[in-house]
Amino acid sequence: MHDVPHPSRRRIVHQGAALGLASLGAPWLLGTAHAQADDLGPYRAAKVNWRQAEGESITVAVIPAGYFENLITLAPQFEALTGVKLRFEKVPPGQIRQKAMLDLSSKTATFATHAADPMYYPLYTANRWVDPLDRYLSDPALTDPAWFNYNDILKAWRDAASVDGKPYGIPYDGEVTVQVYRKDLYAAKGLKPADTLDELLANAKAVHDPANRVWGLALRGFAGAGQNMYIYPSLLRSFGGGWFNGRDLVVNTPQAVQALEWYVNALTQYAPPAVRNWNWPDIADAFSQGTLGCYVDAHSSAAVITNPEKSKVVGKIGYARWPKGPSGKRVTSIWNWGFPINAALSDKAKRATWLFISWATSAETQARTSWKFAGPAKRSGLNRSSLWRAPEFAAAMQGAGDNFIAAALESLDQDTDVDWRPRVPQWPAIGEAMATGIQAALVGQKKPKEALDEAQARIQQVLKG
Amino acid sequence: MPASGFERRERRFALALLAPALAVLLLVTTAPLVYLLWASLQRLDMSMPWLQGFAGLANYQKMGADPRFWNSLVLTLVYTSSTVVLQVLVGLSLALLVLQIPRGQALLRIAAILPIVLAPVVVGLFWRTLVLAPDFGLVDLVTRTLGLGSHNWLGDPQLALISVIAIHTWQWTPFAFLVLLATLATLPPDIYEAARLDRAGAWQRFRHITLPLIRPAVVMVVILRTMTALSAFAAIFAATGGGPGSATEILNLYAYRTSFTELNIGYGAALATVLLALTMAVSLLLFRRRRGVA
Repeated sequence: MHDVPHPSRRRIVHQGAALGLASLGAPWLLGTAHAQADDLGPYRAAKVNWRQAEGESITVAVIPAGYFENLITLAPQFEALTGVKLRFEKVPPGQIRQKAMLDLSSKTATFATHAADPMYYPLYTANRWVDPLDRYLSDPALTDPAWFNYNDILKAWRDAASVDGKPYGIPYDGEVTVQVYRKDLYAAKGLKPADTLDELLANAKAVHDPANRVWGLALRGFAGAGQNMYIYPSLLRSFGGGWFNGRDLVVNTPQAVQALEWYVNALTQYAPPAVRNWNWPDIADAFSQGTLGCYVDAHSSAAVITNPEKSKVVGKIGYARWPKGPSGKRVTSIWNWGFPINAALSDKAKRATWLFISWATSAETQARTSWKFAGPAKRSGLNRSSLWRAPEFAAAMQGAGDNFIAAALESLDQDTDVDWRPRVPQWPAIGEAMATGIQAALVGQKKPKEALDEAQARIQQVLKG
Repeated sequence: MPASGFERRERRFALALLAPALAVLLLVTTAPLVYLLWASLQRLDMSMPWLQGFAGLANYQKMGADPRFWNSLVLTLVYTSSTVVLQVLVGLSLALLVLQIPRGQALLRIAAILPIVLAPVVVGLFWRTLVLAPDFGLVDLVTRTLGLGSHNWLGDPQLALISVIAIHTWQWTPFAFLVLLATLATLPPDIYEAARLDRAGAWQRFRHITLPLIRPAVVMVVILRTMTALSAFAAIFAATGGGPGSATEILNLYAYRTSFTELNIGYGAALATVLLALTMAVSLLLFRRRRGVA
């Protein structure tokens, strides 16, 4: 759910309420839940000295989102465990990359770590702004491998936070894009969730009825590396396309043109006219008002559409993996917010930061910010394979709708890889050029071929420097 | 000579008093400007740190072959000229109209100040979400009631350019209106009486008396508004972010995107320098013109 422009506090609270189980928030239960959650035993089981950086104080930049709010609530536990003072700074998603880069490039060491966009690690490492984390993982003074169990973290996300096989960030929360559809509308027409992109259009056509304010399909149309460039890569890859020809980045291949044509046609034919300005919250809002038959977006958007206070479609929602493209592949997104270590920190601060990272990304804290969390918002973007398969997680996600965990987990395991988007240091410029080109095609300013040719020219210019 | 000693001491004291302000001014205006000029001569691309070094005028030469630069330059000129012309025309018409109103002018003047005091970012967001949004925006409501249909005001390339021009015009027309209203109110009534006796029509009176008399004010308004429009940023940034595609990407936004999204600080600095030079050249030209007339 990244790249949310300023989600309001209310939205976050609502999202939380969405996942049902609001009853757990009842005051008489809070007391017991807290007493249980304050127990530091599970952390002390790790064979590391949690007090080794005592007295240090670190600042962590995160975005204002429910999954980080839950972590912030638990900060006193970390401080009690380690004696390290923790300060969180909430930066809107549209600005966190710039703020972090400003800090990293000027070496002011303001943020010990920050919620990092995995596409930025190649840029970070090219400038040596962050530390490689293999050292920290293999140092017995810092990590108890059996307790931390790095390999339990979802492989796709570990890969996305690594460069050339070396980890530079540890994933904390993430998401995958999945099909989200209206069971009732589909059942009325005898439809099943789409298995291919053609079927997705056929389904959209069957339920499309703009006169009665129901549109067949919506996909993010807003320009941005994390918006339209968050959907298009899946289309490109499932049309059999890729990003590189040898060492050269090529974005105007025939498959790319076909993929973009599909995107343009799908939105032109079956999406509400305003979709070209829509990011995921707009899509989720429209769906929860009952005006969409289906959308493909982050599994975590379930929080909005299952919120009984705002959504009119609770109980009518089903999930499925991405449809297959002409190449026979399903391709979903790869995304997580991970924590790197700022290379400009002092040694002691680095150790304190690592303790924070291993605490936040450990199985115990992940559970405490999800089903063990006392408040109504149970996180759905857990970083560990074992937790995704835990019955407690399934119970906490029960209200989300049919096939929620299976669709997301299978997508995570099978439908994505690290080359989903081009991982190069110049990604910020390339993502922007692609987003601009895709949007020009989506709004009809340019033909898909022409838009991609221009993006290609722009990218070549960027790569020349 | 005691007097000169006193004078010298006086001057030194004055300088000491001025120094902090001067130092701050140097620090916050001159130093960044010098840094900008320096950066524009460097190859400074954070996404390719291995290329870093002195580039001479390469960043400026690159613009010649950069279609997005020319696109943004044309957009800047279209944006600036149309919004300034509109502001003066609408502002002047409103001022002439309000002048005829015997009462309540003060109230109108206060109302006119409101858009000016709003932060441009707020104006951009306000138009984006409340006025121009398809389906429930104010403008859309009007066009749908008039049977002109619903439009994607900020999503369609041409409409988006018109929209951002309208936003800027909406915010700054009151400035032209207030200045011209004040100027019109000072015009001597006896000339008009003489003209009326000579049977000059309303248009003739306007063309041959009003216009020449308020000309200095009009030119001043044009200069000030042109400088603002050339360096406009926040409202467009908030309303369209330069999009869709690059349909509203004026030079300022292009420089911003290049520097802070694409991380090419050197080229971005060169673009900003060109904008600075352009703004100074246009203002200089207009000031000359003003002096020539006055």
